[in-house]
Amino acid sequence: MSIPDSTLNPEAVRHAERSMRSQRIKLHAGIFITLILLWEFGSRIGWLDPLFYPRPSNIMRSFWLIYVQNGNVWYHLYATMSLVFMGWIGGSILGVGLGALVGFNSLLRRFLKPYVIVLEATPRIAVAPLLIAALGFGAGSKIAIIMLVCFFAPFINTLSGVINVDEDRLELFRSMRASKMQVLRKLVFPDAIPIIMAGERLALTAALSGALVAEFIQRDEGIGSLILVYTRNLNMASAFSCIFTLTILGFLIFKGMEKIDHYVAFWKYENGRERVSAKRRAAMSQVGGIR
Amino acid sequence: MQSQAADKEVVVTGQAVGKTFSDGSVIALQDANFNIKRGSFVSLVGPSGCGKSTLLRLISGLITATSGEIAVHGTKVSGPRPDISMMFQKATLLEWRTALENVLLPTEIAGTPTRADKNRALDLLKLVGLEDFAFSFPAQLSGGMQQRVALARLLQTGADILLLDEPFGALDEFTREHLNMELMRIVEEVGATTIFVTHNIAEAIFLADQVVVMTSRPGRMAKIVDVDLERPRSLSLQTSVAFNKLVEEVRETLGEM
Repeated sequence: MSIPDSTLNPEAVRHAERSMRSQRIKLHAGIFITLILLWEFGSRIGWLDPLFYPRPSNIMRSFWLIYVQNGNVWYHLYATMSLVFMGWIGGSILGVGLGALVGFNSLLRRFLKPYVIVLEATPRIAVAPLLIAALGFGAGSKIAIIMLVCFFAPFINTLSGVINVDEDRLELFRSMRASKMQVLRKLVFPDAIPIIMAGERLALTAALSGALVAEFIQRDEGIGSLILVYTRNLNMASAFSCIFTLTILGFLIFKGMEKIDHYVAFWKYENGRERVSAKRRAAMSQVGGIR
Repeated sequence: MQSQAADKEVVVTGQAVGKTFSDGSVIALQDANFNIKRGSFVSLVGPSGCGKSTLLRLISGLITATSGEIAVHGTKVSGPRPDISMMFQKATLLEWRTALENVLLPTEIAGTPTRADKNRALDLLKLVGLEDFAFSFPAQLSGGMQQRVALARLLQTGADILLLDEPFGALDEFTREHLNMELMRIVEEVGATTIFVTHNIAEAIFLADQVVVMTSRPGRMAKIVDVDLERPRSLSLQTSVAFNKLVEEVRETLGEM
């Protein structure tokens, strides 16, 4: 028989998976390079208007320009990112705090429910000009806009995490005569961590969009206003460099949040469980066991 | 309720216990009278809706009776208490805690766990056959292993009255049989009084000193069957004539309604 029985040979399965994976990577790389080349030559022979669709080679050059030769992007990158983090942290604290408060207080919940629905149906970005009018130009109103757009996911997720506690577990805690505080600390809060983290992930992505909108309106500094300036000057290659910068940022944010999630909600992941399990075991044997 | 344990003290009593749920239309339990002796194993068996889980929850203090009175160790049950420990059909483990930390939960809730408490938890994990899995998280354990952790947690409280509500009901037949044998061995070893809810007649008889047969609409105790079968018991007991006579007796009681 020439066909190996893969169920009896895990090494063969792993090998097959690895080779499939490298095949896939090669395929994707091939498609990507072909697309870039098509773009480059399409632009050179006039299929694409180079004014609006700058050549990849030009985009690469402007990357060099804005990052190294002029180095002007760093200031704006810093401005945008510090806004994103401040707004995100502010919005998160507000969202998680209010979510928990409303979650624990059923009276408050009933009272606030219609307003939450109305707020959820309203596109938060629409409120941005009003915030600027109220708070004036500057970092304050920008952060307020970001807080507004990233408040909701942590709020809703914390709320649902706090109210959807498994009845059986609550009964277990009651049968052990746990205090209300113990139920919160040992059951409700840890149980809500994964869903709160999922909310935070959405919030951070929203924060980046919120920062761009704020900068589009205020046009003083940040990647958003840089994109506006470059586009107005028809410097599309540099505008594209800024956009791709944001792509990379978005990706890093996603990956970073994933990493954090693996630590704070480790029990949701196989490798997280294994890591912490080994750590707890080691901590125990380090003190020579309990005995 | 009494049999071999006739000389032993009564630890749980119920007098004319009744439970009607809030809207008043559903009588979950009516006029239940019982005396449970120290160290005995009592099964509550019956179809769903017969009030067996309600009775267990009433004894645990998780819910309160509408009429009558339940007393444990001579004092009226008015809420959950430290001398009673309860286990549910679902393992209800906290998945962010290792097996050991889950077993320690009741101790943590009662105070700060001491070194002795931790040793006890490890011993209990050993007792349920999980000494190698003390640092595993629930998601790394099978359903049967999770229930073993729950069993160790049940015993960690040190309560001498154990209430088990279909504890292995969600597991496959083989695992359940195996865990029933373990349960019998363990409660005998720790000398606890055990009240066990099930809808499986053979299981109820196999484990118990007394089987309380319950019928539904309204839920009431129809009959108490003494199981005078020798201990320790092995699975082969289930094919014996004496055992099957008891099964028949329980079945007839359930069929009468």
